[in-house]
Amino acid sequence: MQTNPLFERTVSALLAGEIICEYSHDELYNYLLTQPVQQKVSDFLQQMNRTLRQTSSHDAWLCSYQDLSRPDAKDAVRQQFREVANHLEALVQFLRLVMMVEAAQRPISAGEHLREGKMLERISTAPSLEAKLRSLCEKDLFRTKRSDSAGQLRVVLENLTKAGYLKPIGTSGSVFLATAKWSWLYDVMTFIQTHEGIREDNAEDDPQLRIV
Amino acid sequence: MARTHDAQSTLRALATYGDVILEAHLNRGNRIALNDDNVGVLETLEHHRLVWRLGDTEDLQLKNVLVRLLDHITESERRRFASAQVDRLWSDLNRLFVDYREAKKRAAFTDKSRIESEIKECLSEIIEDIRNATDTFSSYISSGFSYITDMDLRIRKNHDVIERAGQLNSLFESFNTQDLADQAGNDPFLKRLLLKYLPAALEQGQKNLSYALNQLRLTLVRLREDQRLSKLVGGFESYFANNRGYIPSIDDLDLGHCPAPLNKVAPFAIVARGDIYDPADDEDLIALAQTARTLGADQQGTEPAAALQTVEFDVAGASDPEEEDPVDELIEQLVQFVVDGDIGDGEIDALEALSASGLALDAATWLSTLEAQIDSLAPNDQSQITVEYESQLDPLYKDNLYITGMTLRRSNESRI
Repeated sequence: MQTNPLFERTVSALLAGEIICEYSHDELYNYLLTQPVQQKVSDFLQQMNRTLRQTSSHDAWLCSYQDLSRPDAKDAVRQQFREVANHLEALVQFLRLVMMVEAAQRPISAGEHLREGKMLERISTAPSLEAKLRSLCEKDLFRTKRSDSAGQLRVVLENLTKAGYLKPIGTSGSVFLATAKWSWLYDVMTFIQTHEGIREDNAEDDPQLRIV
Repeated sequence: MARTHDAQSTLRALATYGDVILEAHLNRGNRIALNDDNVGVLETLEHHRLVWRLGDTEDLQLKNVLVRLLDHITESERRRFASAQVDRLWSDLNRLFVDYREAKKRAAFTDKSRIESEIKECLSEIIEDIRNATDTFSSYISSGFSYITDMDLRIRKNHDVIERAGQLNSLFESFNTQDLADQAGNDPFLKRLLLKYLPAALEQGQKNLSYALNQLRLTLVRLREDQRLSKLVGGFESYFANNRGYIPSIDDLDLGHCPAPLNKVAPFAIVARGDIYDPADDEDLIALAQTARTLGADQQGTEPAAALQTVEFDVAGASDPEEEDPVDELIEQLVQFVVDGDIGDGEIDALEALSASGLALDAATWLSTLEAQIDSLAPNDQSQITVEYESQLDPLYKDNLYITGMTLRRSNESRI
């Protein structure tokens, strides 16, 4: 039987728990665009009690358990959740920092560019942003002993790249593309919000945002 | 008789409350607000079965039969509301049609020719206005309202533009083919203008407009999602600020019906090895083995391996010399000096020996390494060395001693 490298790479990535989107794995994402391929991948995964799923914004593919009645599957889901939950505060702080730096009223989404130089320029001119970055680097996900903003920002962006939220593009290594893992994170956050009864932010205006 | 009486009564009600009904139809999406001012009209219209509602507290909605009648009778009004400019030009054009027919009837050819050019000019202006009106929307779409920084205001602006596009759509719909054909009659000049040029412009305008409306609605959906995410992040930020150390948990969930966003698999490693049992793979595996052997650990992945003419395998019994650790070497020498008694009175201060050696090693590591090496000596050698520790008591925990120095001495038994 002839091997199919794209199928192999797609299935391997999905089984490894990676989130496939246009920006993180463009070739695999394009491969998954057609329904027959989706069916083929899904059929393969189903033999391993797994299935192919999309994020609610339909911009990424991931692998889910088909039958969660088995204890090992439940444990794995709990473990996956804990990994996000433990770092959620740091991720929320990062999202807010980017919103403030970019003077945007919405959090980062898949396909957006983050330019390290531009971010650093804005952070170094605003003490409040520097303080936010410093506080971010005290969290486990971004912990570093670096005391300069440039070093701290580099650690933050590198760690987010390692975690699959960003992908470096170009040759400079200082421009990053947001992946659709953020979409998945928003889905998880939406669930937590409902489950834990966390109220939406109804503040009409954020004075800090305005100052920036 | 009773039926006629009811119908007349209904028509009278429509006439009496015409203003409220028209206002509801043109500006309020066919709804009549439920308030004290409208009690009379609502009771009457309900009596004549011209309005409906699901709940007692909801606004009343005009029934479809009435809406269809209103659609029919308010075409001119809708046209004016949608675009006053096009409406004014259309009124001018209608007057010119009357003048044109009159001039034609009187065989006033000079006037007829003049009016023809005026009609052409007026119609070209209408067509131009229709094009301009639809082009305006493409600029909104391309900007995505990004020039408005506040999310709520951006959404409101998007709503306004969608409403305006809807009004323009109403205007286009008000020009129906039958009306234009009636207006043109059998006149070849009017037929060409009203049944060829104007419908073509209207069709193009409607096509652009429906695209614009679709894009504007998509933008609105995106803006609402952005607003939702912004509030989501803000909500979590506040919650974390007010609940220090908070970590979400799903330990209380059974996960029997796992929510989709949480159902993500743990990494499943796919590991495969070269098939050493299949002779067909031998050549590939030998090549792989050779590459692995020629790469040093520090070179791996940085430089390509140098090409080899021949491959030499290890000869049995061959060994590569291993570099000595300078610290181990120094300790070995010290022990030897102490045991042989070749130095002073057979006594060595460990820290002095370290500073004399020139090794860049901190005192703590040096002392602990020295102690470990002495502990690992054979019992006979160990018995020949006496170690004297210099120490300080921990000021807080009196049982703890900090070792600050070590003196190695040849033991008395071995001297004798």
